[in-house]
Amino acid sequence: MTMTTALPIAMIPGDSVIHRINPIAKLVWVVGYIVLAFSTQNIFILASMAVFAFLLGIVAGVLKPLLKAMIILVPIGSSLLALQIIAPAVERPWTLAGSIGPLSLYGDGLYYGFVLLGRVVASLIIALVMVMTTHPSDLFTSLAKLKMPYTLNFMLAMTLQLIPVFQREFGVIMSAQKSRGMKGTGFSAVLPSFVPVFVGAIERVQQLSISLESRGFGSDGHKTSYRQVRVRVRDWIIGGLGAVLIVGLSVYSIIRGTWSLSGEIVFSGAFVTTLFAIAALTFFGFIAFTIIYGFTRK
Amino acid sequence: MTDPIIRFDNVTYHYPGTEEPALRDIDLEIMPGEYVAILGLNGAGKTTLGLCVNGVVPTMLGGTLEGSVTVGGLDVGEYPVREMAKIVGMVFDNPEFQMSQLSAAEEVALGLENAGIAYEDMVRIIPETLELVGLKGFEERSPLGLSGGQQQRLAIAAVLAMKPQILIMDEPTSNLDPIGKQEVFSIAGKLNKEAGMTVVVIEHEVEVMAKFADRVIVIDHGRIVMNGAPEEILSRVKELGALGLRAPEAAVLADDLRARGLWTGPTPTTTAPAVEQVRTMIGAARG
Ligand SMILES: Nc1ncnc2c1ncn2[C@@H]1O[C@H](COP(=O)(O)OP(=O)(O)OP(=O)(O)O)[C@@H](O)[C@H]1O
Ligand SMILES: [Mg+2]
Repeated sequence: MTMTTALPIAMIPGDSVIHRINPIAKLVWVVGYIVLAFSTQNIFILASMAVFAFLLGIVAGVLKPLLKAMIILVPIGSSLLALQIIAPAVERPWTLAGSIGPLSLYGDGLYYGFVLLGRVVASLIIALVMVMTTHPSDLFTSLAKLKMPYTLNFMLAMTLQLIPVFQREFGVIMSAQKSRGMKGTGFSAVLPSFVPVFVGAIERVQQLSISLESRGFGSDGHKTSYRQVRVRVRDWIIGGLGAVLIVGLSVYSIIRGTWSLSGEIVFSGAFVTTLFAIAALTFFGFIAFTIIYGFTRK
Repeated sequence: MTDPIIRFDNVTYHYPGTEEPALRDIDLEIMPGEYVAILGLNGAGKTTLGLCVNGVVPTMLGGTLEGSVTVGGLDVGEYPVREMAKIVGMVFDNPEFQMSQLSAAEEVALGLENAGIAYEDMVRIIPETLELVGLKGFEERSPLGLSGGQQQRLAIAAVLAMKPQILIMDEPTSNLDPIGKQEVFSIAGKLNKEAGMTVVVIEHEVEVMAKFADRVIVIDHGRIVMNGAPEEILSRVKELGALGLRAPEAAVLADDLRARGLWTGPTPTTTAPAVEQVRTMIGAARG
């Protein structure tokens, strides 16, 4: 059963509180998270959002796959911070915080880097928690109940059906690489597999769509559902609470002009310099590690 | 006179970008309630023929189809596969790529949901069908974590649960042990006898065909070269041999004995009558 763990983005079966929340209520939270994350520049809000989403992941019992999927944040996050420090994506004037050789480092950049990172991290974690705790056909059924246009729903359902296909394809190719002496773990081992995975997956996708259509998937007429999705009072409360909280905070942030605290928070020169060094080293270290690890065949 | 439920009218089919046709001048009629077995070498065109019945060829795979295929009165090329699914159930030759759900029960439920079967009926049909194919208690197992043979059984269950008028199975038992093979063919036989389901199986095992099928069709290089009752077709040991195919052991043995002047009467295609006749001969030789 190691085959399906190569790419942890599908549902992890379980019976936690989070698993039992109605898919639509969860969807409200994910959409709300993204809206709020992109309408505020308040790093305390962003950090709390990320922490809260992470706690949900722990409650749902998907900590391990969640962490595994978050490895992707290492290169993204470190490059983002390093780049923002040397070239902030905010309007001048920038406040110089220090320099390393010819590079000038700016504190405003670091603040904005934190904002960008917070947005990505918060949205990614909540989305992963949602995907890992929601059964694709439950989501499909719920959306159909909301009278979502069938074609759109069909496309979404089809996409979700394909995730396990890609995972399986990864599994097969990884074990093939392994048997050829390549280390079959971690991000670096996945990288060289992308091309064969996509080539193979396209063929699988066709076979799967043939198999699904042959069982009437997408046909006209009344549809029923084997999985019974209930909407309980609890789900209304959770969904409603999420909507109110997030709409409220978003509106408040927008009124306060994104509520950025870059004026209030001033990072010390030493802090900015150290963080830049760490971020840059992490980024290059990660790349070097990936290349060396990926191309060393025993 | 009832009308044939499946009808090929002078069908020639080319896959996209190929010179050689995969099917040539196919004329074929299958009556409702028939149990037909299709035999042929690798690449003969058996799978392609099967795919024509629910329209995967040509509506999903493209290519050019001359002539016409009519199934249940519908011109196959005119309807999408998902609509043909209301009449035709298809078990493909690669079970591992047909699995898409998280549990075996949901895999079986998929076709039922699309057919609009009520939830109350589904909870009855699903365990029943799983039990029928020998997967009792496998409801919550992940289809990807099943053995090849179990996946094949699940693929069969997923189609059987829909109770199609026409059941096409493409080498449905290639991964099954001998007992499993017998089970699958006798389930199909039972549905054929009791529910009048039209069954078409693509199969390499001639022994099994001789036992269960009403009719055997032999395909060679995209053409139908033999078409008739199993006793008639499977006893033609030399002709089958010339096509690279093997006749049932019983027929081969009888044919050998006949060449030495030791066998009289019809060539048997199943083991039981052959054994009986040999016993009688031994008895006669002793007595
Ligand atoms: N998708 C395709 N594209 C092009 N040619 C194909 C395709 N599928 C099959 N063919 C060709 O069509 C011919 C018939 O193939 P088919 O799969 O029907 O054979 P088969 O009798 O089922 O063989 P097997 O016993 O190996 O399953 C073969 O020559 C094959 O190479
Ligand atoms: Mg075939």
